[in-house]
Amino acid sequence: MTAIGAAAAEDALPAAGPAAWRRAIRDWLEANLPPAWRADAIAPAEPGLEELKAWEARMYRAGLAGVAWPKAYGGHGLTLREHLIVSQEIGRMPMPESVNSIGKELAGPILLAIGTEEQKKRFIPAILEMREIWCQGFSEPEAGSDLAGLRTRATHDGKVWRINGRKIWTSGGFRAQRCLLLARTGTLEDRHRGLALFVLRMDAPGVTVQRIRQIDGEAEFAEVFLDDVPVEEADALGSPDEGWQAAVRVLEIERATNRMYRAWRLENELRHLVAACRADPNLAPLLADPAYAQRLAQFRIEIEVLKRYVEGVVEDLAAGGAIGGRGSLIKLHWSEAHQRFAALALELLGQAALPPAPEVRAAQRRFRRIYLRARAETIYAGTSQIQLGIIADRILRLPRAA
Amino acid sequence: MSDTEEIARTARRAAAACAGLDAAGAARRLAADGILGLLAPEETGGLALPLPAAAPVAAADAAELLAFPLVEALLLARLLAPLAPEVAAAVVAGEAVATVAWRGALRLAENGALHGTVGRAAMAREARWLVAALERGGAALVDLRAGPGVAVEEDPSGLDLERPAALVTVGGARAARLIPDGPEWSALRADAQLLRGAEMLGSAERCLEAAIGHLSGRRAFGRPLVANQGLRFALARHKLALENARHALAHALAVAGQDPRGRSIARLVARVTAAEAGLLLCEGAIQLHGGMGFTWDVPLHRHLRRVREAAAQCDPAGARAALAARLDEPAEEEREWAA
Repeated sequence: MTAIGAAAAEDALPAAGPAAWRRAIRDWLEANLPPAWRADAIAPAEPGLEELKAWEARMYRAGLAGVAWPKAYGGHGLTLREHLIVSQEIGRMPMPESVNSIGKELAGPILLAIGTEEQKKRFIPAILEMREIWCQGFSEPEAGSDLAGLRTRATHDGKVWRINGRKIWTSGGFRAQRCLLLARTGTLEDRHRGLALFVLRMDAPGVTVQRIRQIDGEAEFAEVFLDDVPVEEADALGSPDEGWQAAVRVLEIERATNRMYRAWRLENELRHLVAACRADPNLAPLLADPAYAQRLAQFRIEIEVLKRYVEGVVEDLAAGGAIGGRGSLIKLHWSEAHQRFAALALELLGQAALPPAPEVRAAQRRFRRIYLRARAETIYAGTSQIQLGIIADRILRLPRAA
Repeated sequence: MSDTEEIARTARRAAAACAGLDAAGAARRLAADGILGLLAPEETGGLALPLPAAAPVAAADAAELLAFPLVEALLLARLLAPLAPEVAAAVVAGEAVATVAWRGALRLAENGALHGTVGRAAMAREARWLVAALERGGAALVDLRAGPGVAVEEDPSGLDLERPAALVTVGGARAARLIPDGPEWSALRADAQLLRGAEMLGSAERCLEAAIGHLSGRRAFGRPLVANQGLRFALARHKLALENARHALAHALAVAGQDPRGRSIARLVARVTAAEAGLLLCEGAIQLHGGMGFTWDVPLHRHLRRVREAAAQCDPAGARAALAARLDEPAEEEREWAA
């Protein structure tokens, strides 16, 4: 075992205070993350799936995943405040994205909220130990933003549920063992009513996964075809009528807290860009050019604002408060800010001296990818238009047409 | 109920009760509610509260279009307490109106005489005391009723109708007191920017409420205007800007005490976001009101005028430039993390 073991997170915090704990987390990450995996590495190496699973399992054992989940299901039993500290340190380190973020940030919280005791014991530890990767089966070809229009049906044949339909934009669908599936038990006219959540085994008969190549040439997401797929009764999540409601409540929290490290990762990106520019004779003067300086400063402002939102959410949740539609403000804010920044980074790095220095090449590789991927950020988890609609409806409570 | 909410409620009530009063009348009314001594030390009759306590008061003053230099009174009572305790006590008691010239600086001659013109001094015509920067650093407290050595005229760069800005020309008058070039003087200017931020957000919130009210009540093409998605989205963007600025301002106020000279990243962020939100929401509300927004009787222009002046004082362009020079510097609360 490495510098901080599972016990270290629990013992060090009350014993030595948050500062020492933060230090321990940082030291552990620096000592254990392979340098070539860092997004700012000069000689990068892409880790494979098995390596990433092993890495995330180690992070969990070191106390860096499941921070605020109950100990009874393998969590570390701390609070969201500690989860924030861990997130800040994860954000500051440009490490690979989790290959099980759906499990850790969506399925896990929903299972904890509405799962049975048996389900929690069966699924939660497997998520944390990276034995089971999850994907999310919500969107459909005919139901993206308007989820209530989804058509995938769940019918009970007297023994098991039978699922028929299609899911799309299923991130990580090809590597997942489990799918958090939203399906209709009633009729299409029921809209939100009669939508139920299921835990689907991705190796069940009738599941076909077709990868979809995306804007950056990779194929992270997939279309999932479901042809009479059996789901055991024990894998239905919540009762058919309350599943959706509970999921929505959890989704509200998730929209506000998921990838809690984001602000600190964005700050890492900004610092990386600035460092790369300083290292280049063409780019260094541009940092002081008012046209670029203003836009760089704007992103710094947007990062600071994002930190304030996240800290506010953590404090409010810790005090037992509610989130409401606030996640929509946060999501709209960071997604648009990040797109502007990514475009700015490309614009700057494209003017580098030739041949580019190794650290400039590293930044060019990183920001090319960030720029392309950022196009999805205003689409997934509810498009910007959906977020604006939520702000208008649920936060401002604007009346509808009379 | 929190103290902040209690202060905010009192401030709204007091500000509303000042409608129609001149500066001297407003001073007495506000003093009666204990508002003017919020930041001043107890020796001068104040409550010695930290800066964040003044933010809801500034927001309420803006929302009610208060015709009184309130931010100046709050901060001058704090600044002058050790230097000119009788003036500070008079400000707290509502017996004297004091203001600040936020633009320019006076020259201090060898013989102690002051010369020069300073600007953006809110309500200087009605004030007894003026604090103005000195070219050599620090500031001077000037008695505006001292006689022929002091002339007050309209500042044509000003827009505010309730608190008209003045130019003050001093030709040989002496300072009633000199204010040293120390952290207290720096803090006055830096803290004033944060309270201007609170004022801008008070105006912005009022303008957003007005826009929502107008769009909800008015019908066009057979339905309420607010049913149009384009208008709903515009309002949602206004709300986002307002909440961004609120979060930034609350943080800057919370950490203001650890940063007496006012150089924090948090302050720079708050100045930019408050100015942006203030202008977006006030100008936006005028647009969303259509022709009504352009009329004298609809008070949106009064908010816009105040916000424009406050935004000038917050200097968002300067704050952005300062941030650009400190891009990779950790924020104050994170400095120890890097250690």
